[in-house]
Amino acid sequence: MKLWMKLSLVMVVTLMAATGVSGAAVIYRTEQYNEEKTLEIYGQQLKSTAYAIAKELQDSPIEEYSERTRYSFFNYLVKKYDPSKYILLEGNQAVCNLTPFEFTGAKDGKWKTEEGNSAIQKNGKQYILVAGRQIPYNKSKNYSLILVQDISPIYEDIRQQAYLYMVIYAGAALFSVLLVFILSKRILKPLKELQQAAEGISRGDLKRRVWVRTRDEAGVLAEAFNGMAERIEGQMTELEYVSEQRRQMLGSLTHELKTPMTSIIGYADTLLHVNLKKENQERALAHIHEECRRLERLSGKLMNLMGMYDNDSVYMEEVSVQELFRKVEDLEKYHLDEKKIVLKTSCEMNSLWADKDLMESLLINLIDNAVKASGEGGSILLEGYGKTISVQDYGIGIPDEEVEKVTEAFYMVDKARSRKSGGSGLGLALCSRIAALHGAELRIQSKLGEGTKVAVVFQSK
Amino acid sequence: MKTKILVIEDDNSISELICMNLEAAGYEACPIMDGKEAEVLLRSGKAEAALALVDVMLPGKDGFALMEDLQEAEIPVIYLTAKVDVISRVHGLKAGAEDYIVKPFEVLELLVRIEKVLERTGRGREILMVKDVAIYLKEHKVTKRGEVIALKPMEYELLVMLAQSKNIAFSREDLLNRLWGTDYVGETRTVDVHIGQLRKKLDFYDTIRTIPKTGYRLEDLE
Repeated sequence: MKLWMKLSLVMVVTLMAATGVSGAAVIYRTEQYNEEKTLEIYGQQLKSTAYAIAKELQDSPIEEYSERTRYSFFNYLVKKYDPSKYILLEGNQAVCNLTPFEFTGAKDGKWKTEEGNSAIQKNGKQYILVAGRQIPYNKSKNYSLILVQDISPIYEDIRQQAYLYMVIYAGAALFSVLLVFILSKRILKPLKELQQAAEGISRGDLKRRVWVRTRDEAGVLAEAFNGMAERIEGQMTELEYVSEQRRQMLGSLTHELKTPMTSIIGYADTLLHVNLKKENQERALAHIHEECRRLERLSGKLMNLMGMYDNDSVYMEEVSVQELFRKVEDLEKYHLDEKKIVLKTSCEMNSLWADKDLMESLLINLIDNAVKASGEGGSILLEGYGKTISVQDYGIGIPDEEVEKVTEAFYMVDKARSRKSGGSGLGLALCSRIAALHGAELRIQSKLGEGTKVAVVFQSK
Repeated sequence: MKTKILVIEDDNSISELICMNLEAAGYEACPIMDGKEAEVLLRSGKAEAALALVDVMLPGKDGFALMEDLQEAEIPVIYLTAKVDVISRVHGLKAGAEDYIVKPFEVLELLVRIEKVLERTGRGREILMVKDVAIYLKEHKVTKRGEVIALKPMEYELLVMLAQSKNIAFSREDLLNRLWGTDYVGETRTVDVHIGQLRKKLDFYDTIRTIPKTGYRLEDLE
């Protein structure tokens, strides 16, 4: 069963029970009150009539009357007051009964009380009030007066009232049921929307949101839901981006592996099956050797790149920038002399919180790139100032539209030339990873034909 | 005059690999390292090649873009590429390429495909020379020092196959499949018998070498 139906049902049942019980109680109470009132009124009537008759008896010498005269007198008295209501008793016998009811006798002394006695008798569908009391006649205590009255109309009234009440009750119930249904459905409408939105999201529509209108629990829930959806969307986008990057990197890696593989397999195949001249055999072997070296370099860089995803391998310490520059200069000396390039250094930085080996690797990679970009006899400037270390060359530069892509793994601006100079396309990817590990940022400025400046900008603490 | 083949490939080692094999098989190879260079050569009208092997991914101008110039110069094309996806294959063939070879490829397969394309486009070699033996493909005639040598049909086919890719080793299965067809339920012994006949008739005891574990190779280095 739906929640709105449950809620409505509970509300309706509670409402109906409450109004039903209170209605019934009111009707019951009214009946009782009416009964009491009736009894009181007739009791009063009986009392006054009894006193009046007592007075008449007092004034008449009934002992002197003959039996017949006495009876006539009694008849006269009853008729005088109300023959349809009153019965006159002498002892336990009715001496005058002109009512439509038959007097079936009474228990001894029942009507001989001074305070009177009353009861309601049910006779078929009729409600009959019977009240009696002793007539306060001081010469004899033997006379009683009984009042008999059909009071069915009172009950009829109440029955009609109850009937009317039931009709109104049913009408109101029907109306309230309808109202409760509509209202509860309205109150729970945000839940329906939430459900639809959740279904939408699970189907992959991550942009789906719930429109929050109310400030109640449903509204708060909707808001929380929207927050959750927002986060999920954000994380999914991020995940997709990361996995897309991984996919591209894997694709590039496969391509990078395939090229040397094609050469190696081809040359090996040729050596095995083809009758080659001696010089060509040597060239084939040299190619196999060179391609294997290329693979080895590639795997080395890949290992570095992968290794840096475990943060444990990073050991941060206070590194003297001066010393770092000297070390890098030393390591690059051979490389630089080969192309007759001059490396100028300027250091205005004291120390750096960094991993020494990684920083070395970063600078060597940057200088290697600068060497590749520079022509013979050029110069490279290695600078340290403020929170920045930069490597500047005056070489071929990078086209504007490619500057952003150069840090992607396996991206090479000029593939053919890059391969020839032993590039793997991983250098800058490695550099930007190292920079990220140090909380630094790689900023590349370049102009085609004028040179490139790569700056490692550390965050000031 | 040897048949000239353009090798348009940017990777130095792969380019040299192809050239090395083409030369061993008796072709003249002309390596070109980038698209622009190829364009210049083709437009100058001095290419004079019978076939071009073209890498799809080229610096300067890619292989598909070179198609127009190659067709202008009436040079049939075989594309070489690392891409294995069907779409680029279809694209290459639609553009008018004769064939498509995916890297890494086998040397023998490359040579056989080259030969097929050359034959189909009527640029096949008419005379194959192996030392002092000349094979006249049009006339189905074989001469040794001017004298005609009588060969049975299958012996002739076998000789042509070996001579077209000379210096390249063929396995017995290769020869059996290519000459007798894959349906032929014969033994590789059949190949040995025919080789024996060729050696005897042409005095090719040293020229047709048995390569251990592989098969046979017709050796002729100039």
